[in-house]
Amino acid sequence: MSTTTVPGTASLAASATFRTFATVFAIATPIIYVVCELQNWPLFTYHPGTNRLDLGWAPPVRNEGPAMHWYGWTATTLLASAALGVLATLLPQSVTRRIPLSLVWIVPVAMLPVLIYSLKFFWRW
Amino acid sequence: MGIIPDFLLDYISVSTYWTILFTIHALLAVALLGALSHQAMSVLMPARARAGQAGIVTRFSTVHGPAYAAAVCVLWIVTFFFGAWIYTKYRMYVRIPIEQAGYWKTQGVFELKEHYATIGLGLLPIYWYMWKNARDAAYDSARKWLTVVLTVMCWYIFLAGHIVNNVRGFGS
Repeated sequence: MSTTTVPGTASLAASATFRTFATVFAIATPIIYVVCELQNWPLFTYHPGTNRLDLGWAPPVRNEGPAMHWYGWTATTLLASAALGVLATLLPQSVTRRIPLSLVWIVPVAMLPVLIYSLKFFWRW
Repeated sequence: MGIIPDFLLDYISVSTYWTILFTIHALLAVALLGALSHQAMSVLMPARARAGQAGIVTRFSTVHGPAYAAAVCVLWIVTFFFGAWIYTKYRMYVRIPIEQAGYWKTQGVFELKEHYATIGLGLLPIYWYMWKNARDAAYDSARKWLTVVLTVMCWYIFLAGHIVNNVRGFGS
């Protein structure tokens, strides 16, 4: 099986540091996203009716349409997960090699019932 | 409402603008769905396990998995970008009527779609890494199931978007 890669991506694909970052990033993202959604911790709030951004969580403004928090949850999640990923690269490889790789797919699956429960407001007849 | 480059509106209507964006988003999603489905089939039904067969299932799954990895990552990110862009329109002109009509479960299905679109973003770096190291047997199991999980997520995201579009899409 041969793959054709450019030098930059080839070195990244051979990097143990990138492996550690990507593993921790993948495990942290579903967990942090669910926490952000449950606790309502968006980095910012977007008001599409007026194109206004507020830092952190903000309620809808009367007569100015809804407030959107999903962009802010996404930003919080990606930044926090990336920070954890970078911190993990500072640990010795003897430690990071022990992180079970299966967690990268088990954690997002495990978050499914939590997310479905968090949307219980919508599951009504 | 939303982010629209002003110069574009000299040439096309606002409705045409959003229709173009939505169509691009949908076409990118189809490409992503196809790529991930091929790859998932290739890991779930390896060609060597079905030697001698040459039917449509065999041909569908007999793809060079690593060659799809970068394309899947780029397609997920670009599709996500277009989805996030048209989400402003959805929030103002689709979700509010859906709620007014009492289609709560439809809205819930969409909420779960947006959650998993973001979670999928976080899985892309390790997905890419594992496919770029496809010769390393240590990653075989995790790569297989991560690919399957991403594929299931992609199918759900695609179908949820399709359902919402059926409820209140073009011409509504």
